[in-house]
Amino acid sequence: MTNILIVDDEPSLIAVLEPSLRAAGYVVATACDGESAVAAVRRIDPDLILLDLGLPDMDGKTVIGAVRAISAASVIVVSARHQESEKIAALDEGADDYVNKPFEIGELTARIRAAVRRRASVRVKPRTYRSGPLLIDFDARSVRIEEEPIRLSRKEFDLLQALAISAGQVVTHKRLLEVGWGSASADSQYLRVYIGYLRQKLEEDSTDPRLILTEPGVGYRLAPPG
Amino acid sequence: MSSHMITPDLASRGFKLSLTRQGLASTATVILVLALVGNLVATHYDEVTAALVFMLGVTVAGAVGGLSSALIAAAAAFLIFNFFITQPAFSFRLGTERDLAPLFIFNLCAIVTGILAGRLRDRSELAKLGNARLTNLLRLSRALQSAGRVTDITAALASIAEPILNARLTLFRLRPGGVEWLGPADTARDVGALLTTLLASDDGMLVDRPLVAIRLDGSEGTIGVLLLEETGAGPMDLYLLRTFGGSVSVAFERAILSEQNAERRALLKAEELKTALLNSVSHDFRTPLTAISASASSLRIYRDKLDVETFDQFLRQIVDDCERLNRYTSNLLEMSKLEVGDDPASLQTLGVADMIGVAIQRVRPRAGSRHFETAGMDARIAVSANPALFELVLINVLDNAILYGPDGTRIVLSAEDLGDRCRIGIADEGCGIPEDDLVRVFERFYRVRRSEASPRGSGLGLAIARGFVEALGGSIEAQTPGVGNGGTKIVIELPIAGAVPAS
Repeated sequence: MTNILIVDDEPSLIAVLEPSLRAAGYVVATACDGESAVAAVRRIDPDLILLDLGLPDMDGKTVIGAVRAISAASVIVVSARHQESEKIAALDEGADDYVNKPFEIGELTARIRAAVRRRASVRVKPRTYRSGPLLIDFDARSVRIEEEPIRLSRKEFDLLQALAISAGQVVTHKRLLEVGWGSASADSQYLRVYIGYLRQKLEEDSTDPRLILTEPGVGYRLAPPG
Repeated sequence: MSSHMITPDLASRGFKLSLTRQGLASTATVILVLALVGNLVATHYDEVTAALVFMLGVTVAGAVGGLSSALIAAAAAFLIFNFFITQPAFSFRLGTERDLAPLFIFNLCAIVTGILAGRLRDRSELAKLGNARLTNLLRLSRALQSAGRVTDITAALASIAEPILNARLTLFRLRPGGVEWLGPADTARDVGALLTTLLASDDGMLVDRPLVAIRLDGSEGTIGVLLLEETGAGPMDLYLLRTFGGSVSVAFERAILSEQNAERRALLKAEELKTALLNSVSHDFRTPLTAISASASSLRIYRDKLDVETFDQFLRQIVDDCERLNRYTSNLLEMSKLEVGDDPASLQTLGVADMIGVAIQRVRPRAGSRHFETAGMDARIAVSANPALFELVLINVLDNAILYGPDGTRIVLSAEDLGDRCRIGIADEGCGIPEDDLVRVFERFYRVRRSEASPRGSGLGLAIARGFVEALGGSIEAQTPGVGNGGTKIVIELPIAGAVPAS
C-alpha cells in the first residue's frame, strides 16, 4: 500500500483529489499548509507527497527542505505552468517531479506510479531498462531499438541513462549538465545539441519526439514505459 | 506707468521728441517765471544778467521736461527776451545790428543748454524704462519657472509677456507629424511657410515684420516655435527676444517632460492593471479549472469505485467551479473595459441598498450559513457609478468577507450619507487583519496568514475591487475590528448621486 500525503490550501482540490486517489488504491492523508504538512510527514511517514507550490505560510522550497530532512518520500510538486523558476527551485531542493495545473487524474496517477517505481528501483539497482522498442543495458552500456543495436557516444549514453533512471519524471537541465559535462553551469546549448543527437538516433521522427520529451524551461523527461 | 514707457525698442526710441503732460506743464511754468523774473532783473540790473536768468530757465526746463521742453523753453525765452528786454521794448523789432549779435548768441546758448539738459533727462528716463522692463522680465521668468504644465506657460505668455512685448504670442509644439498650436494667441496669418523656413534654417530666429519666429530648442533638439506678431509701438529688440525665447524654451521643455512623466505614470498604472489581469487569468482560473478537470476525469476513470455521495460531490464541485470561472470572466471583461477608458455615460444613479441586495443574492450560494445584516440601511442613498463595476466591487468584497468569516458568523453591511460621498461598510467576524497589514490587503496576492485550515481565495479579489473603486472615483480601505471586537471592515467611499426620492 502506498501512502500519499496531499498538501494543498484549496479545499475544493483536496475534496476531489482525496476520494480520487483512494479510488485509485492509495492510502491518502491531507494537509492544508506547510506547517501541518511537515507535522503529517512526521506522523504518518508517507511514501509520496503531492505538494502545491502556492501555500499560504511557506514557499515550496522551504517545505521540501523541511520534508527532505525527515523523510525519503517522493515529492511531486503541483504548480501552474508559468512558475518555471519555482519548479526548478523545487526540483533542485529535492522534489522528484511536477504536475502542471490543471491536470487530469490519469496524468497525476501516471506521475505517481513513475515516482513510486523509481523509489523502488533505487533500492534494487536495475541492470536494464525497457520501454516499448527501447532497451538499455546499463552494465554493457548498450542500447537497442527494436533489437537493432544503436551506437551512442559516451556522453549520449550518460544522458540517456540519467533520463532512464528517472523514466517518466522530469530531469532538470542542471542535473543533465552535471551528468554530461560535470558542471551545472555548462552551456545548455551543448545539452540541446546532444538531446538532438539522441532523438535522431532513437526517435522514429526526431521532429516529433515521443521518447525524449521537452519540459519547457525546466528539463527533459523520458516517456514512461507502457 | 505712463503709456510710452512700455514702447518695445529701447535703442530706436532714443531722443524722440515726445512731450508728456508733465513736461508741458513744467515748460509753461518755466516760461511764465522767466517772463516775470527776466523783466524784473532787466529793470533793476542789466540785460546780461537777465540773459543768464533766461539761460538758467531753459536748463531747468530741459532737466525737468527733457529735450523737447528745453527747445520750447529756448524758443519762448528768445521771444520773451526780444519782446521785453531788448530795445525797443514791448516789440519784436530789433533796433540795431549791434543788438542782433547778443540775441543770436543767446539763442544758440539756450538751444545747446536745452539739448544737453534734455539729453540728460532722456537718458535717466531710459534707465528708468530699462529698470521697469527688467522687473517685468523678472516677473515673467518667475511665472515661466513655476509653470509646471504647458497650459501654465501659455497663461504666463498671455497675462505677462503680451503686455510687456506689445505683441501677440503664439506657442507651437513640434510633434513628429508637424506643429501643434498651443496658444494663447491665434494668428490669422498663414505661418506654415514661416515655421518651415525657421525649422530648416541654422539661425534660431526668423524676422518677417510684423512676425518674429523664435525656435525653441530643448536639450534633445527643437521642441517648438514661439511666434510673435507685433501689434505696433515700434519694432522689438531682437537680442531681448532671443533671451526671452531661451527662457520660454527651458520652461517649455520642463513642462513637456513633466507631462510625459504623468503620461508614463498613467501608462504604468494601466500596465499594472493589465499585469493583475494576466495574473488573475493564470492564478484565479487555474484552481477551479484544476478542480473541474480532476473531478471530471476522476468520474470517468473511477466511475465504479466512487460511492454515490462522492460522485454527487464531484458533480457539485464541477458546477460550483464553473460558476466561479464565470465570475472571474466577468471581472476580466470589466477590467479590460476599464483599460479602454472610463466612459462617463456608463455612470448611473444606483441605490446602494438595492445594489447590496443584488450582490448578496449573487454570493449567497457560497455563503453557507453566514448571516447578512443590512438592518437600518437608508434605501434613499444612491451613488453615481457604473452598475457592472459597482456590483463586482460589492461581490469581490463580500466574497472576501465570506472567505475569512467562518460559517455561522455575521457579515454586517452599512451605508452612510457623507454629503458628497457615500460610505459603504462591509464588516465580518473573521480572524481580522494585523494592523500593519491593513494597507497590504489590497495588494495582489496578499493573503492573511493563518494556521488553521480554511478556504482560500486567490488574493486578487480586493486588489480588483480597489482597481474598480478607483476607476469609479472612489476610495477603499480596510479597518479593524469588523463586527464586535474581531474581524475586518472594508470601507468603500463613492461619489454620492443625491437622494433617490422615497417611493
